[in-house]
Amino acid sequence: MSDLLEVSGVSKRYGGVRALSDAHLNLSEGAIHGLIGPNGSGKTTLFNVITGYERIQQGAVRFRDTEITNAPPDRVFGLGIGRTFQLTRIFARMTVLENMLVATQRAQGWLRSVLRIAGSAAERRRAMELLDYVGITRLAHDPAGTLSYGQRKLLELASLLVADPDVLLLDEPAGGVNPTLIEHLADRIKELNKSGKTFLVVEHNMEFVMNLCHYVTVLSRGTPLVSGTPEEVRSNPAVLDAYLGGEDDPATQRELAEEAEHQRPAQAPRPSAAPPAERGTELAGQPRRTVMKAPVRLGGAEPLLSIRGVTAGYGGGDILKQVSFDVPQGGITCVVGPNGAGKSTLLATISGLLRASQGEIRFRGRVISRLSPRRILDLGIAHVPQAHSLFPQMTVRENVEMGAFTIGDAKLVRQRLEAVEELYPIVRERADEKAASLSGGQQRLVEFARCLMLEPAMVILDEPSMGLDPQIRRIVFEMIETMQRQGKTVLLVEQNARAGLKLSSHGVVLENGTVRLSGSGREVLEHPEIGALYLGGAVSAATASPAPAP
Amino acid sequence: MSAGVRRASTVGAVALALIVFGLFPLVVTDPAATSIAVFTLIFMVATTAWNIFSGYSGYLALGHAVFFGCGGYAVALAARDWHVKGGWTVFALLPFGGLVAAAVAIPVGLIALRVRRHTFVVITIAIFFIFQLAAFNLHFTGGTSGILLPFAPFSVASYNNPFYYVALVILVLTVALSWGVRRSRFGLQLLAIRDDEDRARGLGVKTGRVKLSAFVISALPIGMVGGLYFYFVGQIFPQFAFDPLFDISLALMGFLGGIGTLTGPLLGALVLESMQQYLTQRFSGTGTYLIAYGVLFLAVILLLPRGVIPTISQWIRDRRAKRAGGTEDTSREQAVRGGVAGVAR
Repeated sequence: MSDLLEVSGVSKRYGGVRALSDAHLNLSEGAIHGLIGPNGSGKTTLFNVITGYERIQQGAVRFRDTEITNAPPDRVFGLGIGRTFQLTRIFARMTVLENMLVATQRAQGWLRSVLRIAGSAAERRRAMELLDYVGITRLAHDPAGTLSYGQRKLLELASLLVADPDVLLLDEPAGGVNPTLIEHLADRIKELNKSGKTFLVVEHNMEFVMNLCHYVTVLSRGTPLVSGTPEEVRSNPAVLDAYLGGEDDPATQRELAEEAEHQRPAQAPRPSAAPPAERGTELAGQPRRTVMKAPVRLGGAEPLLSIRGVTAGYGGGDILKQVSFDVPQGGITCVVGPNGAGKSTLLATISGLLRASQGEIRFRGRVISRLSPRRILDLGIAHVPQAHSLFPQMTVRENVEMGAFTIGDAKLVRQRLEAVEELYPIVRERADEKAASLSGGQQRLVEFARCLMLEPAMVILDEPSMGLDPQIRRIVFEMIETMQRQGKTVLLVEQNARAGLKLSSHGVVLENGTVRLSGSGREVLEHPEIGALYLGGAVSAATASPAPAP
Repeated sequence: MSAGVRRASTVGAVALALIVFGLFPLVVTDPAATSIAVFTLIFMVATTAWNIFSGYSGYLALGHAVFFGCGGYAVALAARDWHVKGGWTVFALLPFGGLVAAAVAIPVGLIALRVRRHTFVVITIAIFFIFQLAAFNLHFTGGTSGILLPFAPFSVASYNNPFYYVALVILVLTVALSWGVRRSRFGLQLLAIRDDEDRARGLGVKTGRVKLSAFVISALPIGMVGGLYFYFVGQIFPQFAFDPLFDISLALMGFLGGIGTLTGPLLGALVLESMQQYLTQRFSGTGTYLIAYGVLFLAVILLLPRGVIPTISQWIRDRRAKRAGGTEDTSREQAVRGGVAGVAR
């Protein structure tokens, strides 16, 4: 086997931060390579360097016998290297089929592309075949913006295949994707590999990487630490060290990560762990929030948030259908369900970004389903959305301060900032750096810090662990528990259903816009149906599984 | 079946529009009305051409008056220096005006397209003012006294008609061009740039070339109608040739109808330009039309923020989806839309 792609001695800095230092990587033709490493270790930067999105001063990238160092992205693609993005990127306002046709010009001159009609019959047929291959043919004429996250991933992959590249670089193909779809993806990758494609896959899902890849390279702080077969990498103590921050356990990383979750006893929900009076006094200096002073005597049994018969959607149709459940005070409630089940929609409806067409949502007994997002925030519900939501060009401190911009009292803001810095040291350490320079996991923590600036009674988290390595993921989960211990009520949506439910006092399973199951975290986790419901084929409508069950 | 029906109805609509526009000056002979019609057609061309670049690529250009003025000056200077007699021969110079405009668009595009989004808008405006300033101060433009174009020896009763039909021919060609671009692979690349330029590069789209080509293509028809406009008016001055209101009008007309669509710019220009010309004639000198303009815009922004055509087509799509309801597809589509929540909106 010859080396198809060769990266040697690549270094890249952003300001004072060294993203890559003397990185090297060799991809042999016809293999599936995995690239793993903690958040911030430079995996995405390496992708960007190879595909021409970042320029480098040092090092070289060679593809076959062509030097492609600092070549522009379109040239790199033209030579046969296709990539996907960590935060899936598609052309949202074009139809799915049009998305597929964009890359068909690869082998053509520019003039021909001007003169030719987009998508000859043969190309359209090929595009449809590929859509069929990934399982989203039926959506061909829908605007791509209406696809669920998982379907976007499939579309992104398929739209690369149209151009028939030799090498595919996939940045977290399984991130934020449900288990059925992950399997589907893995199968597709294996098949494509058999037909001769070379892969480089960045992924945090260890099971996925270890089962799929022939070779794995571990990146740590911008430098390759270990390279070898999955078995070699798995048993290398240095890897565990890099990945899990010095826990020496002989198990694989994945087991380790789960182990770590086991060790912490599931926090029993303490319904009245947070005496509302305490927050009330703290908020006294804050004129806009006088609402909070309204007498709210909550019995232990009374839910903080109750959702009754909520139906909501975006013009085209209802995504949530008659959803009802309670979020008890002081606990952690986890909503799980396949991609496209309506989880994010549910959260958007609670925080007022989307208005329910039917039903009502009560927060502390008060109807909030007709209030503006701003009013709901003022009442004490903070929402941390799924996609990266920091302001990239603002510094970390500015971002965190933005969380409190509704508070007029500068002294109070300063106090809160200090409290938040205490909890999240990164806010102080990286205070003056642009948010965009942080890694995914670091950004998550800053997002948490920002939402805590308002001292919300309830925190809504959408996929908090998405795209995070096991170590950061553990920190994030710990932070969620800390929030709960400090009296916040947490409502989270989590693709990693097992970890999410273990953490939670209550679980809700959403499927196709309706609540299928709810109960204590443990009950839901151990419910015999959940395996079938969550992992099985019953989720086809949303996941493009090839054999839809009724 | 439905595709065939749709195609038939499209062909029918185009034929109907051609008949209506073709017969208009024969039916309505009032010169006041036909003169409004000429101006309206000119702006329909200009907005459609502007949309080929700005609408499809998402790059909001506010300097296309440069091409309008350059086309105008090219025709005026050519007619003067080559001693062209008034009449139909001047119309033969229009393609020359278009080519000059397109040639000017190459260096302008090379400079402006180095940057994106807001910076791009500002750069196009700045370049526009450079051209305006040059027109005032250069020797060959005649400075503020402008240039007279040859007198058109058409009969008084039907003086407007030749201009009308020439404008109509250019309009048909421009719409065909816009349609061709939209259907071509090149158009698809422009749309991809609009939605996500970086990803488009990653899929092999040579974004620099694609953007520049669209920029130049959009300048050509505008240069042609620039020549036509000033031939119609009779003379050309810097303040009319390079008029900032022209830039803004194109954008407003585009947004009213819906940018990025084929028919939106046509509709926007048809409504706005005819209304503006009519109100100017009616209440000459007063600013009444500006008030009516403002009211219309507020209404559109409040009620149809994405423009008339996209809003209507979305509405039709939704109704169709609802009518098809009850089948398995709806529930699927609903489930599918769930994912939009966190990611796209």
